[in-house]
Amino acid sequence: MLCERCKKNEATVFYRESVNGKERSLSLCADCAEKARKKGELEDGFMKNGFFGGGFFDDPFADADKLFGSLFGVKSLPGAKTEKVKKCSLCGATFRDLMNEGKAGCPECYRTFAEEFAPTISRIHGTTSHVGGAPSAFRRNREQKEKIHTLEAELKSAVKEENYERAAQLRDELRSLRGESEAR
Amino acid sequence: MTWYETKGRDSDVFVSSRIRLARNLNDYPFEGRLDDASRREIINKVRSAFEGDGEYRFVDFSALPENERIAAAEEHKVSPEFARGTAARAAIESSDGAVSVMILEEDHVRIQSILPGKSLKEAYDRAASVDGKLDSKLNIAYDDKLGYLTHCPTNLGTGMRASVMMFLPGTVAAGGIRTLANQLSKIGLTVRGMSGEGSAADGCLFQISNQVTLGVTEEETISKLSDVTGKIAEQERAFRKKLAEKDGERLNDRVMRAYGTLMYATMIDTKELFSLYADVRLGVCLGLIEGIGTEKLDTILIRSMPAMLMRDHGGNMTPAERDHARAENVRRLLSGASRED
Ligand SMILES: [Zn+2]
Ligand SMILES: [Zn+2]
Repeated sequence: MLCERCKKNEATVFYRESVNGKERSLSLCADCAEKARKKGELEDGFMKNGFFGGGFFDDPFADADKLFGSLFGVKSLPGAKTEKVKKCSLCGATFRDLMNEGKAGCPECYRTFAEEFAPTISRIHGTTSHVGGAPSAFRRNREQKEKIHTLEAELKSAVKEENYERAAQLRDELRSLRGESEAR
Repeated sequence: MTWYETKGRDSDVFVSSRIRLARNLNDYPFEGRLDDASRREIINKVRSAFEGDGEYRFVDFSALPENERIAAAEEHKVSPEFARGTAARAAIESSDGAVSVMILEEDHVRIQSILPGKSLKEAYDRAASVDGKLDSKLNIAYDDKLGYLTHCPTNLGTGMRASVMMFLPGTVAAGGIRTLANQLSKIGLTVRGMSGEGSAADGCLFQISNQVTLGVTEEETISKLSDVTGKIAEQERAFRKKLAEKDGERLNDRVMRAYGTLMYATMIDTKELFSLYADVRLGVCLGLIEGIGTEKLDTILIRSMPAMLMRDHGGNMTPAERDHARAENVRRLLSGASRED
């Protein structure tokens, strides 16, 4: 969707409010929203300047959660009061961009938008958890974690059985293992 | 020797087995959001992982003439999408032609291995060894929960597409392709015709692949696909037997007419070639034609594709020129066969 003001950039900021059962909305790009805010239009002069003929938004930011939403059902956007929709720190994509493209923008997108992606991923694959192979570094890490887990359980039972010699030995092993995994 | 020039296991039904692994580098946007400088960087990084290994050859793919790029897709060494793209991209090829690494296809890296006949497991081992090579040198995008992080969410998890190219004239004749497709879709597999039509016009060639990549291991995917394609092959052989028993005379006539056309026609278009290929290949598999192997027919088909012909000719040709060159090519390859006996 294009910004209603400049009609050039993609709209990324959305205002929506239902007044007397009538849904009204405004979609702006980040630049235009910022400009409007700087001019004070959005704070008080917004409606008087007349996007919707006045009197619509008395205070557009009074209830950010109610006013500010996105087309994809993102309930409340962090920092909504000030500005922008969440963006991927590596590629700069918003989730809307990704939905339009049908693909992720970069590997980091899957972390940034983990929550938003989950329903799509589960619809495609019927699950959201990987069980297959991994790069060697992750494989080593995974094995190490499993080993630490086993040793911890052993240590617990050694202490319980008052086998202190064995416990000390296990503690040493754990220490060196943890040291390794932290160094990674 | 490329896959189609070698006789594979159970080649009466299994034409080829292919594995593709999608991999990406951390710290770069996905293909499509990359500028030219980053594309070059990625190409160089991937290339450096193969440095000093005489087994592999680097190809500056985007610098190749169009016919050569498309021809590489026609012999299934790279994907059609990869061949069509014009932005900087590169490929790395193993000396035996079985492995090709596409750099900057939809994902930063797509490792592909293709072998003749029924050989999924071997194809996977080849791809996995290249994967290991890359992962020891490069920072591969991976997440403990989602697995390999890929451009499209449909490839998350293993990032693996396993597929088997099957020759199914008996199933086509019995009208069983649609039923097969329905059954496969219920168990997470897909079937695609060579040109998307799913008819005899495709040479009765069908590609069967896994659809899901998350929540299943590589081994599970491969063993499922092997089992299912094994059953499809049994059924296909039963259909062929029935066909030969029920209407052997007509079948024989049809096969021999196709064979005659292949040997003596002076112009053959691609569509006709696909259908002649299917009839003659079936004849060879049923023992109606002796002295040529399935690999000869696979070679004739692949080497007579439009860009292949133009590549070998050394320049563009009109469709009529191609049809002429195709018929000549088919004759030459066939007569080579009888000389060998
Ligand atoms: Zn704007
Ligand atoms: Zn991103």
